[in-house]
Amino acid sequence: MNAVSLEKVTKRYDSFDAVSSLTMEIKEGAVFGLLGPNGAGKTTTLRMIVRILLPDQGSVRVLGEPLSERTQDLIGYLPEERGLYRQMRLLEILRFLGALKGLSEAESERRARVWLDRLGLGDRVNYEVHSLSRGMQQKIQFIAAIIHRPRLVILDEPFTGLDPVNAALIKDVMLELRNQGATIILSTHRMDQVEQMCDSICLMNKGQKLLDGDLKAIKKSYGNNTVRMEFIGDQAFLQLPDIIERINPYGEMVDIKLRPGADAQQILKSAVERGVRVHRFELIEPPLNDIFIEKVSERNA
Amino acid sequence: MRKIWLIFKREYITRVRTKAFVLGTLALPLLSIAILVISILLSGGTSRNSTRIAIVDEVGGVGGAVEKALREGKSSAQLKPEVVQVVQVVEHPTPETEAYLNSQVMQNELDGILVLPKGLLKGTAAAQFHARGMRTAALMGPIERAVNAAIIARRLSAEGKSAGAMKNVFQVVQVQLVNASSQKEEDPSETNFAVAIVAGMVLYMTLIVYGMSTMHSVMEEKTTRMVEILVSSIKPFDLLTGKIVSVGAVALTQYLIWALTIGVLFASAASVTALVRPGAATPGINLSPMLLVYLVVFFLAGYFLYSALYAAAGAIVSNDEEARQAQMPLTLLILCSFMLFNVILNNPNSTTSVILSMTPFLSPILMTLRVAMQTPPLWQIVLALGFSIATTVYTIRISARIYRVGILMYGKRPSLKELRRWLRYS
Repeated sequence: MNAVSLEKVTKRYDSFDAVSSLTMEIKEGAVFGLLGPNGAGKTTTLRMIVRILLPDQGSVRVLGEPLSERTQDLIGYLPEERGLYRQMRLLEILRFLGALKGLSEAESERRARVWLDRLGLGDRVNYEVHSLSRGMQQKIQFIAAIIHRPRLVILDEPFTGLDPVNAALIKDVMLELRNQGATIILSTHRMDQVEQMCDSICLMNKGQKLLDGDLKAIKKSYGNNTVRMEFIGDQAFLQLPDIIERINPYGEMVDIKLRPGADAQQILKSAVERGVRVHRFELIEPPLNDIFIEKVSERNA
Repeated sequence: MRKIWLIFKREYITRVRTKAFVLGTLALPLLSIAILVISILLSGGTSRNSTRIAIVDEVGGVGGAVEKALREGKSSAQLKPEVVQVVQVVEHPTPETEAYLNSQVMQNELDGILVLPKGLLKGTAAAQFHARGMRTAALMGPIERAVNAAIIARRLSAEGKSAGAMKNVFQVVQVQLVNASSQKEEDPSETNFAVAIVAGMVLYMTLIVYGMSTMHSVMEEKTTRMVEILVSSIKPFDLLTGKIVSVGAVALTQYLIWALTIGVLFASAASVTALVRPGAATPGINLSPMLLVYLVVFFLAGYFLYSALYAAAGAIVSNDEEARQAQMPLTLLILCSFMLFNVILNNPNSTTSVILSMTPFLSPILMTLRVAMQTPPLWQIVLALGFSIATTVYTIRISARIYRVGILMYGKRPSLKELRRWLRYS
């Protein structure tokens, strides 16, 4: 069964279509990445799945059911725009939000305590929200999104503003939920996180789908046309316009995109001729980052 | 329903816990205790127990009769007979006694001197009451009645007739004011007027204060972005309902506490009076139960109408600056009712008053005012209520649509044209 299926969904605003005729399926138990540049329609799409917005055309189904208050309770949602009631205590706010998702208040409070302990906020259950740092507030919102053990968890940029320790903590919880059978939709601009975590993706731009499917299959379809190199010496050896289409430097490391049909060995040869010391030379699948940039700029051009 | 209840409960508890609510709720009872004590202290008019006067009788033999008449004079709302105490009756005064009495008045030992000149019996001269300041003005009625009674009795006995036998002849005729529509006796006192003004003011204040409170609550959820988490669990309309009902319940809680304290205070006013100042008049208020029912009904209609509008205003703004601008037209609308108080109070049954009290948006406050002044015909009340409820339902539907779109729109405040488009969004 699909956790989410959208069929020809359109959401129209006055002057433009935020989402136009989007068809997309998300398999149950997957970690799904919804990608796209700013203003691509990701948040609008997520809001329609959560039933905050209603589509103008098309149908949305969650776990096989048309949207209703019942499906809302099956979903946990961490919106990108964040905030909490400032004057409420942590335990109160989590008890309230859990109850709003269908838990009894006692059960909601019990689970809130467990999660606060686990995310390192156990000693602050009676603190008011405004006394917490942004990162701590974000953890509270994350708990609010998962406290009722939703079968579908939607996280819009869950890692922004978190330090690496907390980001890892959240990531562990996400993968744990996935292992327990939950489906996770991740909307983010961080391609490295998508590559680490997602099974499948959908790339959107201007309200339309550019590509979607299994992440590995997508990368494979682009072939091994990228060389990842580490070296010491002058970069001048990379001036091979017939072979190299684009260079993405990452500090110590460069990703080199080859022209179709070009031979990677030419680069190695050029390096040896110029006396550059090569530490790493690897033929890899294209990074998602490159696919993203290529696809989006191709459409915008 | 369960989710609306959760919203209601959270909002209610958070609000009732705030310092503003606790202080605001305590302030009025404390104030009314102060007012009660002060009104008891002032009810005698002076710091002494009674008004002390001297009678200078130039006619001869009348002073005693006036004193007796003052003592026996019928009690009135303003003055109890025992409050006027005649300390001295002087017949055929010498200039020295007059000078002495005057100095007594100046030293505040006496509150006034009643002079009965020679021509009084024949009607060629008027009695005079010499007093310092105007605080004794309330005494003039009883004094006039007492002097009249004494002089008339004296004239009668001069004609050989007994004053006792002629008592019925001089029985004062009373004219009562009767309301033409209800055929009920109208209390000519000003109680109704006061009740009407207080009821109107309370309604006016509530609509503005709690309307703004609803607006800020919507704004808080919008600016903290809490609302996006909320509407992922509950329909915007239900969220709005829970919130408005909750703020209304907070208002009613406050009024209930106030009404109870004031009720207890006035019920115990007699004992408070005895405690603060024995012998003084007991203040009191009279409210008919029907008036209370109408008050609550029109309060609810007005409250839901305006708080829905304020909620919509809160939903379309993103900061305090915009909020001030957006709430202006609403506050002016309520202020409009307030400005029309005078029209209703001057003549609650004029055509203008009737029409105004049925006008949508004005009806809740103005009809309450009319009901408090003097009960209008039932059909007018029912019609006004019907209009009010229809307006309220319609307004809530429109407000809810604006609310639903507005809470998710950040940035620039929408123009009226954009707002109209919002109404069409699915």
